[in-house]
Amino acid sequence: MNTIIKTTELVKIFRETAQEVCAVNNVSLSINEGEFTAIVGPSGSGKTTLLNLIGGLDKATSGSIVIDGQDISSLSEKRITEFRLHNIGFIFQAYNLIPVLTAKENVSFVMDLQGRKKSEIDRRATELLTSVGLGDRMNSRPAKLSGGQQQRVAVARALASKPKFILADEPTANLDSKSAANLLDMMERLNKQENVTFIFSTHDPRIMAKARRIVTLEDGKTVNDEAR
Amino acid sequence: MITSLAWKNIWRNRTRSSVILGAIALGLFCGVYINSFMTGWMYTTVDDDINNHLSHIQIHDTAFSANNDISAYFPREKVEAAVGESGLVTAASYRLSLTAMLASANNAVGITAKAVFPEDEKAVSTIWQNIADTMGAYLPDDARTAIVISKKTADKLKVKLKSKIVLTFQDTNGDMQSLALRVSGIYKTANGMKDEATVYVRYSDVFPVTGLPENVFHEAALRTADLETCRQADARLKTLLPDMDVKDWGENEPALEMSLAMTEFFGVIILAIFLFALSFGIINTMLMAVLERTRELGMLGAIGMSKRRIFNMIMLETALLTFVGSLVGIIIGTALIVPSLSSGIDLTPFMGDQFEDYGFGSIIYPVLNVKMFVQIIALVIIAGILSAIYPARKALKLKPLEAMRN
Ligand SMILES: Nc1ncnc2c1ncn2[C@@H]1O[C@H](COP(=O)(O)OP(=O)(O)OP(=O)(O)O)[C@@H](O)[C@H]1O
Ligand SMILES: [Mg+2]
Repeated sequence: MNTIIKTTELVKIFRETAQEVCAVNNVSLSINEGEFTAIVGPSGSGKTTLLNLIGGLDKATSGSIVIDGQDISSLSEKRITEFRLHNIGFIFQAYNLIPVLTAKENVSFVMDLQGRKKSEIDRRATELLTSVGLGDRMNSRPAKLSGGQQQRVAVARALASKPKFILADEPTANLDSKSAANLLDMMERLNKQENVTFIFSTHDPRIMAKARRIVTLEDGKTVNDEAR
Repeated sequence: MITSLAWKNIWRNRTRSSVILGAIALGLFCGVYINSFMTGWMYTTVDDDINNHLSHIQIHDTAFSANNDISAYFPREKVEAAVGESGLVTAASYRLSLTAMLASANNAVGITAKAVFPEDEKAVSTIWQNIADTMGAYLPDDARTAIVISKKTADKLKVKLKSKIVLTFQDTNGDMQSLALRVSGIYKTANGMKDEATVYVRYSDVFPVTGLPENVFHEAALRTADLETCRQADARLKTLLPDMDVKDWGENEPALEMSLAMTEFFGVIILAIFLFALSFGIINTMLMAVLERTRELGMLGAIGMSKRRIFNMIMLETALLTFVGSLVGIIIGTALIVPSLSSGIDLTPFMGDQFEDYGFGSIIYPVLNVKMFVQIIALVIIAGILSAIYPARKALKLKPLEAMRN
């Protein structure tokens, strides 16, 4: 199995006016290609911070993150943005989509940023939206879609750039339990059928139950790491 | 794709964008209109003055220009030869120009009397067309003695058509000569000051008492095809007649030429001020647009849209807003001007003829020229880019992460 993410003694300290918060405390973690991993833990345990570090959205205080053999902690802001574009897919809790663009345009947008050919963009966007079950809503704007449908578009968008893995920070937090379960089933199917690597954080025990590996954080430390 | 996204982004807040778009369009519309109107006003004034009074080029003896001395004349053949050689002159009128006193029973005024050959003069100056139907004719052949004076002069002297007035001047020997003349025509041009100063008499009436030799003159007034050939003819005549005083209309009336340049300059300045004021509105609108999209811009940065591209997108949004608004304004302005290009805009209902005392006509023919459009478009581009920079920089300062934190 290929290791695609390897963090070593990762530390992130936030300095607020007086006190310091150690949001991620010495986390060493390896994630292999094809994993379907949940990062769990109580509120404030550092899940978001860890995902942001892995996604190159934030700089670690110390420690290293190697993605597919490349140490991203040393990259400049410009290079890391480029790196994200080509290597990492993101699904956020909310505000994933550009409201003035249709579902299809939202999915196409990343590929356009990557400089792909128009015909390829078009074909792939249609393919992806169909595979997340939105083949009939491709020309709808986000405001016309339900929360669950919007998150599906976000999944399609994250996949569009052909990333090495997808990071999803509480992708179901704004969804009702049925939509949440549907989204997770869909992600699971993509993971099994297309071997897409997913790392997601969640509070929800029912969502956790679908993961094949659960990393538990507490006060920024990994307190449990179990494969199921 | 970024262009179409930028365009869609503009229309997120329809009201706000429409308001600023409307303001830009209104500003540009006013800019185009005022510019075209003011330039037209000046051109109309210049044209009137050239047609009636200045002609394109005037030639005098150098000494005459200095002191209007009756003895500072030039032989006609000398100038005629040069005019022929220059090849660009379409009409020429040779005049005696006498500093004189004009007296009626009631009053007396100092004037310059131009002694002319009526037919030659009509080819150079349109004074004869400025005599109203009820105000007589321009030095007609059948009149025994004739003088054409302006309405202003007539009013001052309290004389009417056919009144007898006396023209008095010094001949070449320094003796006073008086001629009794009958008013054959009363003219009125847009330039009240010149009207007051100038009367026209026949060469044949005046010449015998001047003491001047035959075929000498004080002034040659020349016309060319247009202002451009005027410049060339002026240059040629200056080299052909190095010892004489050759002046084009602008040199004869520097204030007029200067006003023309100033008007064009002020047109640009006014437009620049409009655009400067508008750019605050544009900046404000775009700043709002950027700040209320903080999360989305953060998300775009997170998924891999580079800062440069985000910067460009905001620049493009601002530029599109500015250019579209400007285009609409320019088109409306131009469309409203075009019908009055040939018919002119009559200001008399608003202002009466009060401007005529200062040499300005009351019917304005607006002017649209390429130079003006180039200037306007250049200014719009500068304003668009300048007001785009600040909001776009603001967008750059947003950190993707902080932007997205709820
Ligand atoms: N930008 C920041 N500045 C200061 N402190 C921060 C910042 N971001 C996170 N923290 C702190 O770091 C700790 C970890 O926060 P983080 O958001 O990673 O937790 P989390 O596990 O995602 O919580 P939740 O489940 O509520 O989303 C918290 O104590 C939080 O207050
Ligand atoms: Mg969190």
